[in-house]
Amino acid sequence: MQITTTHLKRCSLIRLEGRFDSNTSPDLQQAIRQVLDAGVFRIVLDMQGVEFFGSAAIRVLVMTYKECRRWNRGDVRLCQVPERIVRVLDLAGISPLVQMFPDCTLAVGSF
Amino acid sequence: MATEEGLCVTSSLTNLGDIAEYVAGRASAAGLDEERTFEVQMAVDEACTNSIQHAYRGHNTGELRVCCFREGDDFVVEITDFGAPFDPQSIPAPDVTGPLEERSIGGLGVYLMRQLMDSVQFRADPQSGNVVVMRKSTRISAT
Repeated sequence: MQITTTHLKRCSLIRLEGRFDSNTSPDLQQAIRQVLDAGVFRIVLDMQGVEFFGSAAIRVLVMTYKECRRWNRGDVRLCQVPERIVRVLDLAGISPLVQMFPDCTLAVGSF
Repeated sequence: MATEEGLCVTSSLTNLGDIAEYVAGRASAAGLDEERTFEVQMAVDEACTNSIQHAYRGHNTGELRVCCFREGDDFVVEITDFGAPFDPQSIPAPDVTGPLEERSIGGLGVYLMRQLMDSVQFRADPQSGNVVVMRKSTRISAT
C-alpha cells in the first residue's frame, strides 16, 4: 500500500496504490487528514493502482466527501478508477454522488 | 464431494492481506473467474474485519480460521472465531441511496458481504464459536 500526495495549484492529487482494507485504511485517513488540516478541500484521488478498496476505505472516502463539501468549500473527485472498484462503489451507493474521471488531467482541470 | 483446507491466523488486521491471498488462490483453483474471485476476497475481508473488530474487540491474540471448499457448484468459505457472540442482525442496514452528507457510517461491511456473495449465513454458539458461511456459485450464469 502506498499513498503519494502532490500539491498542485488547483487541488491536491493523492495517488493510491495497493490494498486499502481495514488494516491500511487508517493510513489513508491520516494522509487525507494532513491535506484537510492544511486547508486544502479540493482533492483528487488517483485510483489507478488500487487493488482493493473495502468498507473501511469507503468510510474514509465518505468522510472526505463530507469534509471537503462542507460550506461549499471544495470536493473530492476520483480518477482512473479500476472497473472492479467502480462496482464496489456502485454497491455502496457512492458512484452517483462522487465525480469520476478517466484521467488525472481531466479530474484536476475540473476544479 | 467436498475437499477441505484451512488457514488459521491470529485476530490481527495485519493478517487480512494473507487471508485475501489464501482465499484468492483457493477460489481460482475452484474455478471462479478473476472478477468473482475478487468479490469473494472482498466479502471475506469484511467478515474477518467484523470478527477482529467486533467479536475480538480489536484484540489481536484471538484465533481466526478460514476454510475454503467446493460443494457441488458452490465455492464455500467458512470463517470461524471464538470471540464474543456477534449478531449481524443487530446491525442496521446502511443507507446507500440518500445524500452522502446524511448517511450513517456503519453497517456497510455486512451489506457488502450479502451483495457480493450468493448466500451469507451466520451462526453463533459457545462451543463452536461464531461461524460465517458464505457461498458463491462457480457457474458464470448464476450472478
